[in-house]
Amino acid sequence: MPDVKMVNVTIDGHVVTVPDGTLVVEAAKLVGIEIPVFCYHHKLDPVGACRMCLVEISPGPPVAQAGCIRPVADGMVVKTQSAMAVQARADILEFELVNHPLDCPVCDKGGECPLQDFTFRHGYPTSRIDGPRLHFQKPIPLSPNIALDRERCVLCYRCTRYYDEVAWEQELTVAERGVHSVIASQFDQPLTSNFSGNIIDLCPVGALTSRLWRFESRPWDLHHTPSVCSKCAVGCNVTLWQRRGQLVRVTSRENDDIDEGWICDRGRFDYTDVNDPARLRVPAVHGSKTTWAVALNTVADGIKGKGSKLGISLPQDLTNEEAFLFRRLLDGPLRGAKVKMHGRTALPAPSGEQLMIKDIDDARVIIIVASDTENDVPIVNLRVKKAVSKRGAKLIVIHPDAVDLDRHRETVHIRNQPGEAAAEVRKLADHELLHEPGGPVAILYGDGRGSEDAAGLVAACTELAAKVGAKLMPLYRGTNERGSLELGVAGWDSLDGVEALLSWGPPPTAGVPASVKFHAVWDHLPRPEHQNASVVLPATSFAERQGSYTNLEGRVQFLRPAVDAEAPLKESWDVLCELAAALGLPLDYVGIFPIQREAAKAFPALAALAQPPSPEPEPVPVLMGPARP
Amino acid sequence: MAEQRGTVGGPVLTEWFGRANLHKLEVYEKLGGYEGLRKVVTGMSAAQVIDEVKASGLRGRGGADFPTATKWSFVPKDHPGPKYIVVNADESEPGSAKDRYLMENSPHALIEGAAIATFAIGGHQAWIYIRGEYDLPYEKLRDAIAEAHAKGHLGDHPFGTDYPLDIRLYRGHGAYICGEETALLESLEGKRAQPRSRPPFPAIKGAWGQPTAVNNVETLSTVPWIIRHGGAEYAKRGTEKAKGTRMVTVSGDVQKPGNYEIEIGVTYRHIIEELAGGPFPGRKVKVFWPGGSSAKVLPGSMLDTSTDLDGLKALGTMGGSGGIIVMDDSHCVVKGAARLLRFYAHESCGKCTPCRVGSNWAVRTYERILANEGSQIELALLDRVQQGLQGGRCLCGLGDAAGWVIQSTMNHFRNEYEEHCLHHTCSVEGALIHA
Ligand SMILES: Cc1cc2nc3c(=O)[nH]c(=O)nc-3n(C[C@H](O)[C@H](O)[C@H](O)COP(=O)(O)O)c2cc1C
Ligand code: SF4
Ligand code: SF4
Ligand code: FES
Repeated sequence: MPDVKMVNVTIDGHVVTVPDGTLVVEAAKLVGIEIPVFCYHHKLDPVGACRMCLVEISPGPPVAQAGCIRPVADGMVVKTQSAMAVQARADILEFELVNHPLDCPVCDKGGECPLQDFTFRHGYPTSRIDGPRLHFQKPIPLSPNIALDRERCVLCYRCTRYYDEVAWEQELTVAERGVHSVIASQFDQPLTSNFSGNIIDLCPVGALTSRLWRFESRPWDLHHTPSVCSKCAVGCNVTLWQRRGQLVRVTSRENDDIDEGWICDRGRFDYTDVNDPARLRVPAVHGSKTTWAVALNTVADGIKGKGSKLGISLPQDLTNEEAFLFRRLLDGPLRGAKVKMHGRTALPAPSGEQLMIKDIDDARVIIIVASDTENDVPIVNLRVKKAVSKRGAKLIVIHPDAVDLDRHRETVHIRNQPGEAAAEVRKLADHELLHEPGGPVAILYGDGRGSEDAAGLVAACTELAAKVGAKLMPLYRGTNERGSLELGVAGWDSLDGVEALLSWGPPPTAGVPASVKFHAVWDHLPRPEHQNASVVLPATSFAERQGSYTNLEGRVQFLRPAVDAEAPLKESWDVLCELAAALGLPLDYVGIFPIQREAAKAFPALAALAQPPSPEPEPVPVLMGPARP
Repeated sequence: MAEQRGTVGGPVLTEWFGRANLHKLEVYEKLGGYEGLRKVVTGMSAAQVIDEVKASGLRGRGGADFPTATKWSFVPKDHPGPKYIVVNADESEPGSAKDRYLMENSPHALIEGAAIATFAIGGHQAWIYIRGEYDLPYEKLRDAIAEAHAKGHLGDHPFGTDYPLDIRLYRGHGAYICGEETALLESLEGKRAQPRSRPPFPAIKGAWGQPTAVNNVETLSTVPWIIRHGGAEYAKRGTEKAKGTRMVTVSGDVQKPGNYEIEIGVTYRHIIEELAGGPFPGRKVKVFWPGGSSAKVLPGSMLDTSTDLDGLKALGTMGGSGGIIVMDDSHCVVKGAARLLRFYAHESCGKCTPCRVGSNWAVRTYERILANEGSQIELALLDRVQQGLQGGRCLCGLGDAAGWVIQSTMNHFRNEYEEHCLHHTCSVEGALIHA
């Protein structure tokens, strides 16, 4: 890293020392001074469009200037509270409201709306707006998940810029011009991107809302819980929003090491199963409701002593704690059972030093092998896009089919025959981009969804990494695939021919084998495959679960229950302990913490479990106003 | 269109106008055309060219009045990639038609000037972004570029040198905002024409992210003369600080509307009354826009104002694009301003809030006033909107200009506004019906 020059800037009398080139709005944040913004967003390139951030800057012309596009300079004096600056911002807010529908009382954004907050803090106290407002047809369904209200839109272009810059999609644009400008999907077709939902979080007003949640509740009536997404191995941080026992919203929770504030549409919209009225809540044996004790004893009887005649299907999103307990069962009473984990790749547990997601930022050459990152590891895909389009990294993709990364004109896409990816990797050592990469090289590899020989591919990638000095990242797909691999439970066995089957989570991908005589199910939703099951145990959904996941780069993160697991629903660790007891293995934990402490001792990869992080600190209050002399 | 030379020191831009077929390379060259480019590519350094233009004191004629040599010198010398000259031939400002006049009559002067400028910034490629509706100028330029290529004045070896120079024409998409230099660059790149925020300035990151100098047609058409005769010769014309001659387009209530080349420093009275024949018999100049619709208006009582650019600046207005719009005493200023605001609201690109919303708000307010629904509230509203449009509030100059129209007409003709708003009459165009 070259030394960054530091400069001194005075903002409303506070002196702040920041790296040269810092934008005025960012410098102000450091001293707790709010410069309101609409179009500016710290993850998007500044455009200076909305003019909300007007301040007075000297030296400079005696006019208001946009703080979001001005880098600081040594000795710069910024005034946010001078008469000129205060009036400029009030004028802008008045303009914003001239055509605004002012339907705040029924707006989903109400309570967390910058337009409301800024009007309160920076606007004129009275309104001078009379006369009719402009109207647009609304709401426009942008997709099955997103509604657009063009009257509420302040045209900050965050949504379209995000689509352009971050997602590399061309589905969202601006139509018409002047005061008739509107956000529109390309050719009025529904948005299809797997990254579309982020525009809801980005929209500073209630113009883009989730159709799953629209008009359901006010934000301040919700309880929110910081958690981790359970849909894939990336482990994006999310906030789960609960009201009256229902999970009503999932939003992103920025973690620069992993997700940078983005989540994919699976993580955002795939949650309605939690509230499904058909959810399984009571254990049942042969279709009759019963107690946990009876049900678990029936399960134990059915699977005990079966050795390799027992098959177990594992969910992809089991926690490390569950995996740890399960490992103890496998080492004990269930020894010899065949295990097949859902949704996992054929990749082995990682060895040696690995690339971290945030390291992708600094890579000069990125090589992606045998993975459709857009669907396999969506938010890693966005990180790659950023490295390429904002930081000038070169990209080589080895994949048989077209991928969304091809949208960059400089992407080198080598189309391999399925199964031949390793051979293409070996040829890469002489690739011109790798002669003098000018910095770190990153190799990200998947398993081609089963089409590649995983061992051969890992060997080829490891060899190439050694040759060109690259770091490696295995692209696991299963949510806790890596944790399960490290705990030795992520089985890859065929379940054909087993006599007893425990389906934990969704049924086995290959279906319930015909040989099964005893079938126990542990799931949160009823499914057709449960029809002939001897026992059905109700499971918690991700929203009721506590514990931890290890993401694909090896980071252990904690998920917290947003919705209570109300009796008779039981937490999974509790169920596993009772099942163990019924199988003759006394596992006597009084809660999840002792399990975590023990797992941390037993497995170095889980050391982080010894000390679950304390809840997040409260945000620093905004200071506002000039410094006192 | 009327053509007349009112220049004290002899015309520059229109020096050869009136010669038959001046648009043909043969004629242009026989008169001395392309001497400048030859001189530059065969015997001068880029720095020498910039120095010569600096000595002339030439300032941009696109409206912003920025010293041309300084603009060129901002383009980094050591940039490893391409650098571009982009010719702004979008001319869409109400009241201005001088670029069209120059391109139709003497396309080679622009081509030569653009080539010299390209050499001066150390580039090899110039783009001419021409307003989509300009058919004849487009054809003239297209043919002239082909001629220059065929003759070898452009291409890989202009005048036998190894300094490639190329010029390409790009037809614009028909919006006023396409003339704003950064919106023009967006449009040239094939995107929606909306201004970019600055920094970075085009000189650092312009077309396709490469260093670019955007220059007006008239500015560049002046350059060959400067190279032929020397900057010092050019600087003999004009006022102490605002050098040279410039084109003005006179339109509105005058007897001989048209394009005129004037020496900077003559008065508006000279232009309007002598060159353009003055108002029609029995009428008086009531108000005029001294530099296109975007310049703040001056009342007829200020006809003796000099065209000196700095003098105009001191008065709070500008020489702008040189479009002089004259309105006589038979017209209502409020109606005129309302019409212009409709233009600005229609042409607002919509990128920034104040211009997008404010210009439209003003239009709706004017509509109420002209429908005899005005009151003290409308007066206050207009005042508020014009303030909200100016002073750095907008991303580009279009919004400011809309504000200036309101502000300057209200400033000089408050009585007419009050008549309309408070008394629902118009003493100029006859009493309005009372509501
Ligand atoms: C709304 C708007 C429209 C403009 N239209 C034109 C135009 O049509 N032609 C032009 O030369 N300059 C126009 N300009 C000025 C250009 O932005 C730029 O300053 C000019 O092309 C620079 O050339 P010059 O230095 O030779 O004057 C416009 C500016 C604004 C704000
Ligand atoms: S829809 Fe929202 S994010 Fe998009 S431009 Fe409008 S206000 Fe901005
Ligand atoms: S001032 Fe008007 S034309 Fe210029 S950027 Fe803003 S909206 Fe567009
Ligand atoms: S936040 Fe600065 S212009 Fe929008």
